[in-house]
Amino acid sequence: MTAVVVGIVVVVVVLVLLAAAAAGRNRRQPDDIASFRRQIDALSPEARRQTSERMKPSDGGPMDDDGGNDT
Amino acid sequence: MARDLAIDLGTANTLVYMKGRGIVLNEPSVIALNRQTGEVLATGREAWQMIGRTPGYIVAVRPLRGGAITDFEITERMIRLLLQRVGVSRFTRPKVVICVPSAITEVERRAVTDAARRAGAADANLIEQPMAAAIGADLPIDEPVGNMVIDIGGGTSETAVISLGGIVALEAVRVGSFDIDAAIQNYVRREHGIAIGERTAEEIKVAIGSADPTPDENQAEVRGRDLMTGLPKTVILTPEEVRYAIEDVVSSIVASVIRCLSKAPPELSQDFLVRGMYLVGGGGLLRGLAERIERETEVPVKMSNVPLEAVVLGAGHVIEHYEALKGMFMGARR
Repeated sequence: MTAVVVGIVVVVVVLVLLAAAAAGRNRRQPDDIASFRRQIDALSPEARRQTSERMKPSDGGPMDDDGGNDT
Repeated sequence: MARDLAIDLGTANTLVYMKGRGIVLNEPSVIALNRQTGEVLATGREAWQMIGRTPGYIVAVRPLRGGAITDFEITERMIRLLLQRVGVSRFTRPKVVICVPSAITEVERRAVTDAARRAGAADANLIEQPMAAAIGADLPIDEPVGNMVIDIGGGTSETAVISLGGIVALEAVRVGSFDIDAAIQNYVRREHGIAIGERTAEEIKVAIGSADPTPDENQAEVRGRDLMTGLPKTVILTPEEVRYAIEDVVSSIVASVIRCLSKAPPELSQDFLVRGMYLVGGGGLLRGLAERIERETEVPVKMSNVPLEAVVLGAGHVIEHYEALKGMFMGARR
């Protein structure tokens, strides 16, 4: 009797784990697509314009205008 | 609250971009130390002015060579001092993105991130210089087209083909503008018998150095120490001599560009003929270099509008969009 109960519990646990793994895989695909989309959007010219405009600090921070030599 | 930072830790110069502010620091990667006590006497511009002009107890050094840390402890101290100058303290620990050459080893990678963490960063991530340069040079790397960027720094030259936010082909050589300076130093020593310092060699490169003949070339008067007599001596150096002196270094850079072109998939190769290649980095400012690469590859070469700042601006863009772009960090790619 005990062996049957243990067997049922094991089967249920395995089924739950399989279901969770399948759900995780299904969820990851849209996540990957969304993450790639976000990355591409963040690299668009519109997104980059703001960074380009910040080439020099606007409020006179501790920027040292020297060249020294090449980077 | 700490403002996150992007750092272009170059062999020659270190640039720092602060999130929401822009470029807040641009200093030579040099540190001056008291040889006896180990005490830091100066960093950046001030230390650069000391190179080759210090008394015996002071040493002014570049702790990075070929884009790699040659002296871990000194680099860490230099980073700490630079971060202090932009307002980082032990209570304000920012996230930091650091640009490094793509060809660095795992050990070098760890050395850079460890140095940044010990210097006060809460978290340090790395991004490849050519990728950062392409972002900073405003290339349309979000599109499925071939973008080619050539980044010639002080110690490394890297060429990359980038499409859809990722590196498709890459070629890197540990040769850069410091090798050009060293080649000039060696030539003057060998052919004219005088010793000159690295700063003088750099001045010669800037004044009359070129990779290809250019219009309006002038000769230069070079002062150094006569190796035979030990006395100060002046010699005249021609642009042809400098071209001859630096030919090996220039050829090596051009050859790496050609190797990268040959690695690119054909669909992207055809884009280069129309869109051209973009040159960034201080080494790219060498006169005639763009023309020389264009002549040897038969692909148009264009100079970036921000050759010296492109890398840090690209890394700065990553720090501005940290969550969206953290997949671009070295080791984060799927």
